[in-house]
Amino acid sequence: MSETGPAQGARGVIDADEQLLEVSGLKVYFPITRGIVIQRHVGDVRAVDGVSLTLRRGETLGLVGESGCGKSTFGRAILRLYRPTAGQIVFEGNDITTLGGAALRSLRRRMQMIFQDPYASLNPRMTVGGIVGEPLDIHSIGTRNERRQRVEELFEIVGLDPTFAERYPHEFSGGQRQRVGVARALAVNPDLIVADEPVSALDVSIQAQIVNLLERLQSQFRLTYLFIAHDLSVVRHISDRIAVMYLGRLVELAPSRELYDAPRHPYTVALISAVPIPDPAIESKRRRIILKGDVPNPASPPPGCHFHTRCWLRERLGNPAECEEVEPQLRVLTTGHEVACHFAEQVEGSEEQRRASGRGTSPAPDAARSATSADVPAPPQRPAGQ
Amino acid sequence: MLLSVRDLTVRFRTHDGTVHAVNGVSFDLEAGETLGLVGESGCGKSVTNLAVMRLLPQPAGHIEGGQVLFDDMDLVQASEASMRDLRGREIAMIFQDPMTSLNPVLTIEEQMVETIQAHKQVTTADARARAIELLGRVGIAEPAGRLRDFPHQFSGGMRQRVMIAMALALEPKLLIADEPTTALDVTIQAQVLELLQRLTAEEETAVILITHDLGVVAGMTSRINVMYAGFVVEAATTPDLFARPRHPYTVGLLHSLPRLDAGSDEPLIPIEGVPPDLRLAPVGCQFAARCAWRIERCWSEIPSLEPLEPGTTVRSTGPGATHRIACWNPPTPEEAEAGAPLRPGFVAAPPPDEPAQAPKTAAPR
Repeated sequence: MSETGPAQGARGVIDADEQLLEVSGLKVYFPITRGIVIQRHVGDVRAVDGVSLTLRRGETLGLVGESGCGKSTFGRAILRLYRPTAGQIVFEGNDITTLGGAALRSLRRRMQMIFQDPYASLNPRMTVGGIVGEPLDIHSIGTRNERRQRVEELFEIVGLDPTFAERYPHEFSGGQRQRVGVARALAVNPDLIVADEPVSALDVSIQAQIVNLLERLQSQFRLTYLFIAHDLSVVRHISDRIAVMYLGRLVELAPSRELYDAPRHPYTVALISAVPIPDPAIESKRRRIILKGDVPNPASPPPGCHFHTRCWLRERLGNPAECEEVEPQLRVLTTGHEVACHFAEQVEGSEEQRRASGRGTSPAPDAARSATSADVPAPPQRPAGQ
Repeated sequence: MLLSVRDLTVRFRTHDGTVHAVNGVSFDLEAGETLGLVGESGCGKSVTNLAVMRLLPQPAGHIEGGQVLFDDMDLVQASEASMRDLRGREIAMIFQDPMTSLNPVLTIEEQMVETIQAHKQVTTADARARAIELLGRVGIAEPAGRLRDFPHQFSGGMRQRVMIAMALALEPKLLIADEPTTALDVTIQAQVLELLQRLTAEEETAVILITHDLGVVAGMTSRINVMYAGFVVEAATTPDLFARPRHPYTVGLLHSLPRLDAGSDEPLIPIEGVPPDLRLAPVGCQFAARCAWRIERCWSEIPSLEPLEPGTTVRSTGPGATHRIACWNPPTPEEAEAGAPLRPGFVAAPPPDEPAQAPKTAAPR
């Protein structure tokens, strides 16, 4: 990263010099086999196909993409829940790509995971106190009494009543279960937390509770998050930087504000344009880029740029051969903004880029919005006795 | 008036007690209008529409009271035979998960031809031609060839297109879309919403769009009813609802939603607590326990849906529909903007007797 010195992140200080995790050229392939007794290897699902990125201590890196783009596989691979096919994972200067046995187990104390489904990720036969304390047992931390105290403390930290520790998961609502999942992840004082769609299963009003909790915990314990989600609005809110994946590859990496204001990859532009904004005044000014067809099969991705089969920019430029033949590499456009597109410069300032965010050619949305509310006289307050 | 729902009350009898799913919901819909029903899981938005279609899960679900007037016929009293005739032909429905609403062992052709022939006296060849035409209109390439395919051979987005084609096959007057794009990726959602909007506009089909996603209704509907725990708590035209939300729940929802276009680091203001236990009969405003604006009265009296300005003649449909809320102590516009009460010294009224309710409401801070 070309930034120097500590930068002010969304919630606290990010140390630009201290790289917590460095991933380079990571590939995770799942073999496709035929035959029952003798299995022949007939191909691979290329879930993650050469991803490189760095996580700085204390930051939140958002990882977005649609289903099947490999974002969850990537998150699990860096925790070494999957064996990487190729590439290197360096955690605090140590290569952990091929770590095994006791060394891997003790490493897992440093990195924890929060899962999407608070119903499936908690053992229904254990009390929630037992669930939160289990990581302490596994890593043999503290005496029995100390563990019990730590569990109580963890309940307080995530906003649960410690007297609920003897209850079972089914007695809790979705939001409370997710708090239990967060407490479990915090139990061993990790440095890195991989949160895989931690709020997708929750209702909007509960979602905000968990997002705020994660933000508070980050500044309290100086956590580093890899926040994986498909919902760009949530990711933009919580992240310092955002990485966009498409079909196993990273297509864009930028500071989160910049990604929305000035997306440079045609796929990111389309993705942003597709996210509905809860404001009809802005919605009417936006124009969606309707991508043709579906995401191609990751077992046989298109050659060259994986996105070329659906790319609006390629069509505009008269289908240059480069897109089909040459795999675009991630290159730095401006400080901290990297894009994997041969023609990323053409995106800047385009009508599509402007209309995706609703800025269009008309005045700023803020001005338009305050104008409409000023036209309408504020209604008198209804008497309470009505 | 195409559809007029009056005081609809739906209960479920379960082993754990009676669930008060819908508690006196009323709304109107003109031909060709698009109405959004917004709310979180369990707010009764889906149950309302299952009741309209008379498709409540049996034997638990029961329409306890009210009327559903569709073209001046009361669907609550209608015979099962006339409902069967009505479903699909007059009112069609699209569900969230297209895989479970298509029959996995029949080809698309068999399902579409059967649907068409169930309601229209046409030859199989004609029905087939109509099916091909419809699949083409919803953007399925080589429709004649794909007709022989089974549902699993289509992707999620394509299956939802097939569902839309089947729903519109008989040119219904009303289309009920229950979370039609929730299971889809955002770029596919954009495709499907665009299609739904274009086709229903062309056919002048009225639409009830049920969703939890305020972003989707913002771009798709002309009017919105916000529901909470079986009540409509706010009803307004779409522009009005977003420009001047006035019910504390709507205000809370808008403040707890991260927006893609938000300024830097605008904090989210969550709605604390959890929705009420629907097994308890509603006493007072159902939102009171989570509301920052609650006054004493909110705990004991159920507010009815009334116009913002008292004494206004209520217009229930159209672009000039009256903005109505069910609230005893609505936030002022400034408070709605800030997301919290601003009146000096105002404290939300404590519950009448200490939380003797289900323990679930006690935990989160």
